[in-house]
Amino acid sequence: MKKLRKEFADTMLEVGLLDPKLIVMVGDISHGILKPYAKACPKRYYNVGICEPTIVSMAAGLNHMGLIPVVHTIAPFITERSYEQIKLGFGYQKLDLNLISVGGSFDYSKLGCSHHCYTDVSLISHLNRGVVIIPGSPIEFNKIFKEIYKNNSINYFRLPEKPHNVEFQSKDIIFGKGIKVKEGKDITISVIGSQLANAVIAAEELEKINISTEILYFHTIKPFDGKILRQSVMKTKRLITVEELSAHDGLFNLCLKASIGIDGIQVEQMAVKDFLHSYGSYEDLCEKAGLTSENIKKNALKILKK
Amino acid sequence: MNKDLRVKIVEMIKRSGEGHIPSSFSILDIIEHLYGNVLKFKKDEPKWVDRDYFILSKGHGCAALYVVLEKYGVLKEKHLLEYGNTEGLLAGHPDSTKVPGIEASTGSLGHGFPMAVGLALGLKILKKPNRVFVLLGDGECHEGTVWEAANVANNLRLGNICAIIDWNGSAAQLMPRDDLINKWKSFGWTTNLIEGHNTESLNKSFKNLKLSLEDTPKVFVAKTIKGKGVSFVEGHGMWHHKIPNDDEMVKIIKELKS
Repeated sequence: MKKLRKEFADTMLEVGLLDPKLIVMVGDISHGILKPYAKACPKRYYNVGICEPTIVSMAAGLNHMGLIPVVHTIAPFITERSYEQIKLGFGYQKLDLNLISVGGSFDYSKLGCSHHCYTDVSLISHLNRGVVIIPGSPIEFNKIFKEIYKNNSINYFRLPEKPHNVEFQSKDIIFGKGIKVKEGKDITISVIGSQLANAVIAAEELEKINISTEILYFHTIKPFDGKILRQSVMKTKRLITVEELSAHDGLFNLCLKASIGIDGIQVEQMAVKDFLHSYGSYEDLCEKAGLTSENIKKNALKILKK
Repeated sequence: MNKDLRVKIVEMIKRSGEGHIPSSFSILDIIEHLYGNVLKFKKDEPKWVDRDYFILSKGHGCAALYVVLEKYGVLKEKHLLEYGNTEGLLAGHPDSTKVPGIEASTGSLGHGFPMAVGLALGLKILKKPNRVFVLLGDGECHEGTVWEAANVANNLRLGNICAIIDWNGSAAQLMPRDDLINKWKSFGWTTNLIEGHNTESLNKSFKNLKLSLEDTPKVFVAKTIKGKGVSFVEGHGMWHHKIPNDDEMVKIIKELKS
């Protein structure tokens, strides 16, 4: 499956050729793959420098001029470091922005915790006009970006390094709607981003011992599709959430909120509890965080008391 | 030095119990000069597409901007009278979503300037001749984003922006080894020292200012006096965010009207 970052570059070229208002600014990353956009859209591509808060504030100025800014760099620097610029420049001033990050969670697995980021989704969600998308496959990014990039909102697209490798049809991808990847009756697995791959493996293993799982996948975190989650949990009464976000706020909280009033539900949270003081591959750090298909299976058995 | 506008500022701040009098007095003459002699704007059409852009990056001095906007008809007297009230548009920092003629919601220092650089870049992309003026505090120049943005503006050759630094000495209280002029020069900005309360200096400096889409950015480091106009308010001390009591108010008005 094509890398999300490559899809980002291809989508910028596609949209940039059609929309002369699109301006892409980067913080010294992805300049190689953005060359076709830069060539096709002269004066609308800026590798501004390593100064993320300033790039975000400059984007406010561009949008104030009626242009549509896209700011792209590494997740912790574009969100956590630049949060006040996002909050005041776009939240307070009601301006519009497209932020596109790579390196969310521990995607830069060998670069250490300075390059990890677990709070970005929560931060942008706190803004009333904030929209959060985690596209786990190229088609999700391409379709949703084109739909919302000029929607008068603060759009945050968090591009995972590893696509989940589940093929979706364009008609299945609807902004703000979850996707039922698999129908089941015993337990609901709610999942975002690359972790869909682990959820699918776990579901296959559970099927072998006659446990029927329902997998709900969310590319749109805000606005969250609480309806599909609620319908599923009302049926299964059992829920596991799987995410590479902070355990202190994220998918788990959204799912619990959507389940308010449903009696007798059992839940398990799989998320990142704190800094992962470790290096290794992406899979190594998933293991360290407990985000594996084996642990999804274990948690399912724990809930089912088997 | 405009004494009448200073009276309006102090009355507005006294009435509401909120505001920064010395910071506003420090920049008032510069802002009045800009609106009276430099900026292209239409009082009844704040979003006029051919206007020049003015951003007050040191948002806490906004009382000065409000009284100037009122003088030139962008705001009404009732807006000044409602300053700080729930039904009003104005208060201690400017809100661009509410106030006609305010381009940026500033307050947290180091935000307005990089946004102004973005405006200048936007104008350059669109090949529009509008100009961008942005007023910063010297204390605000402690913020890292000021120098990030200064660097970027020079690199992108944004010759359509003019920054004005309110050099009233606030920064030097904390960091006395303060050489603003050479700092701005070293960041590639065409830098000139002006007198921020002197009409002749302001006239000459802005008359000679040439902005264009492809040149070095320009900065005026304006020598000013914090609290200028009222002897016991001038300088750096308790008056920074103080509201005058009734006795002090009488003395301030008396001195301004003398």
